[in-house]
Amino acid sequence: MATANVVTGEQYNYEVIRKFTIMTLVWGAVGMLVGVYIASELAFPFLNFDIPYITFGRLRPVHTGAVIFGFGGSALFATSYYIVQRTCQTRLFGTGAANFTFWGWQAIIVLAALGDVLGHSQGREYAEMEWPIDLLIEVVWVTYMVVFIGTLMRRKQPHIYVANWFYLSFILATALLHTFNNLAVPISLFSMKSYSLFSGVQDAMTEWWYGHNAVGFFLTAAFLGMMYYFVPKQAGKPVYSYRLSIVHFWALSFMYMWAGAHHLHWTAVPDWTSTLAATFSIMLLLPSWGGMINGIMTLSGAWDKLRTDPIMRFLIVALSFYGMSTFEGPMMSLKDVNALSHYTDWTVGHVHSGALGWVAMISFGSLYHMLPRLWNTEMHSTKLINVHFWLATIGVLMYITAMWISGIMQGLMWRAFDDYGNLQYSFAESVAAMHPFYVMRALGGAFFLAGMVVMCYNMAMTIRKGNTDGSLAVAAA
Amino acid sequence: MKHDKIERNVGWMLVMTMLAISAGGLVEVVPLFFIKDTVETVKTADGRDMVRPYSPLEQRGRDIYIREGCFLCHSQMIRPFRDEALRYGHYSLAAESKYDHPFQWGSKRTGPDLARVGGKYSNDWHVQHLTAPRSMVPESVMPNYPWLLKTNLDLSDLTLRLKALRTTGVPYSETQAEYDRNVKQFGEEVAKTLHIPDAEKNLVAQAQAGNYDNNKDNISEMDALVAYLQVLGTMVDFKQFDDDYFAKFR
Amino acid sequence: MEWLLWFTKFENTKPLALLIFFTVFCGILLYLYGSRSRGQRLEEYKNIPLQDEDKKEAQS
Repeated sequence: MATANVVTGEQYNYEVIRKFTIMTLVWGAVGMLVGVYIASELAFPFLNFDIPYITFGRLRPVHTGAVIFGFGGSALFATSYYIVQRTCQTRLFGTGAANFTFWGWQAIIVLAALGDVLGHSQGREYAEMEWPIDLLIEVVWVTYMVVFIGTLMRRKQPHIYVANWFYLSFILATALLHTFNNLAVPISLFSMKSYSLFSGVQDAMTEWWYGHNAVGFFLTAAFLGMMYYFVPKQAGKPVYSYRLSIVHFWALSFMYMWAGAHHLHWTAVPDWTSTLAATFSIMLLLPSWGGMINGIMTLSGAWDKLRTDPIMRFLIVALSFYGMSTFEGPMMSLKDVNALSHYTDWTVGHVHSGALGWVAMISFGSLYHMLPRLWNTEMHSTKLINVHFWLATIGVLMYITAMWISGIMQGLMWRAFDDYGNLQYSFAESVAAMHPFYVMRALGGAFFLAGMVVMCYNMAMTIRKGNTDGSLAVAAA
Repeated sequence: MKHDKIERNVGWMLVMTMLAISAGGLVEVVPLFFIKDTVETVKTADGRDMVRPYSPLEQRGRDIYIREGCFLCHSQMIRPFRDEALRYGHYSLAAESKYDHPFQWGSKRTGPDLARVGGKYSNDWHVQHLTAPRSMVPESVMPNYPWLLKTNLDLSDLTLRLKALRTTGVPYSETQAEYDRNVKQFGEEVAKTLHIPDAEKNLVAQAQAGNYDNNKDNISEMDALVAYLQVLGTMVDFKQFDDDYFAKFR
Repeated sequence: MEWLLWFTKFENTKPLALLIFFTVFCGILLYLYGSRSRGQRLEEYKNIPLQDEDKKEAQS
């Protein structure tokens, strides 16, 4: 890497952030492309082409891995390194260690995808990576923790800004979840194959404690950290209420961990567990909406920014989707609703309204804010940001609408009885009924992917005219 | 009660956050490992366990089920509803997955639940359906799996696999004493199939006798996968229990 | 480990969860909104992100 020896380079370690930023967009495009492909496989099964490596079952973890850990993870590394340096007004701790987290994390994503395609799976949703990759994740994550906490410890600002709290709890929780969910016995030191240490009920509970809190801390808490920094920055105004953000933080950290078992309603897990989980899921609505209101109200008095600033629009629409899916989530955790929604596309739609609407949109907004500052220039084209915004919004809306309809329809068809008390539909009939919605979903995904590609182009052009030594910065504005 | 300390001191912040995020898991997850009622007792009249570990061939089939990511579209967890009872059978018991490392309950039914698919269709149906699903179910969106028939089952690490499962607590036997325990717990016929030193012999014997893929010349991955599918949900004989027996455990 | 069984009973866990949650919650609220001066100090922290502009950006 080129040595950055001018002011900016001295003050902050931007080099590692630039690398993570680029990879965020690369993994975003790759992961969403795979997503669109597997969505098309469900609509047109011939696309599996009888090739083992690209069947739905093997590509699906490639999609989830690339978007959650590749796109989401890289975005979190990039923004956390950016925010922690700028709010602590100090340089990132451990340049070598930070670099290691970059190369380590990229290796993990590539190895995980290769493993998935070759059929090395632990058989655990969102944790398909086999044990050698899990160990590598552990090492990289501990290094990340050291870099982050090390930076906090040498801050020049006495108070730790609230965004960092969210990142900190995300780092801690992810370490905890990853460790316990991946306890497994390898069959030998030279084999990828392992068997999970727990079985049945306990294994299910561990997996969904992980699965739900991966959403709670990886995809929510950390991205809220992003929100607490980039929304005020982009608005040029401080966050609506700092005290509300403190309540938000503690309530969210405490309550999320209880909610996992709502993924196991009506299963062989004891009723008390899933009922307790449902109770906490309902209560989660309060901190979630508290946080959303805090973010949106930051803009109060500057609402015109929504018309003029496409980056602001990304951030605020992300918050709206956050509010919507954190309302939908508790509703789906009610046992009676869950009886209908579970096992159907409704769940898939819910996940994507959170993942595309909230996680991806807030990342896009944050990255558009960061890019010009990292490369000391202006965005290549504001118009293209706008194009991206509309492609993304239309994409999400198409996606979730399709999944709502197909999900509810599936649920209703499965439980429909005819006049004689027999099941009205065979399972195959419900599959056939899904077809138009699977096509619509793939289309929605394609829109979102198109927006992602536009962003990649916009970034590439921005980087081309930018520079990393900070010397020409003034000319830009 | 000094929030100020927490805000200013990273150490405090770490401890408090750790406390906040640990509470839920401690209260919800940990007890499941200690409460006896979590997993039902399911025994025959003469005191033998109905739910047994998978035979070597079935376990290898399960490995393939996991390798191909079947759990991403098929659940193995029937809920206690009238429609599911009609469509799939008796609701799933915790005991039925107690030897499942990892569990394969799934979260999505792009295809139907498979918890009790065992015995529902013939071996030939499964072979044809796995090779070309749409030749049996025109509406299906499942991929074809033609390579299962063509690929011989890898037996090289069979004992390593069973030994690893034994380490996790599945009662496969290595010694005479363990074998005797299994005879008591599962009966002699089952105990024989769980003996690791005879694993390969037993696997070959089951594949030959079952002839799952209609080809006696080789043991294919298809043999193993079909053997696994055919055992799913068949271990518990519900006729031997009162209707409300299992409700006690919920 | 028998004591863990206590947590499996609804009549225990419901009030317990409520009690823990509510006391801590009240504690936090009291801390945050109980004192005006402390409140003002806390609210000042929200300007931290806006203080980090380095010189070059200030010019632009």
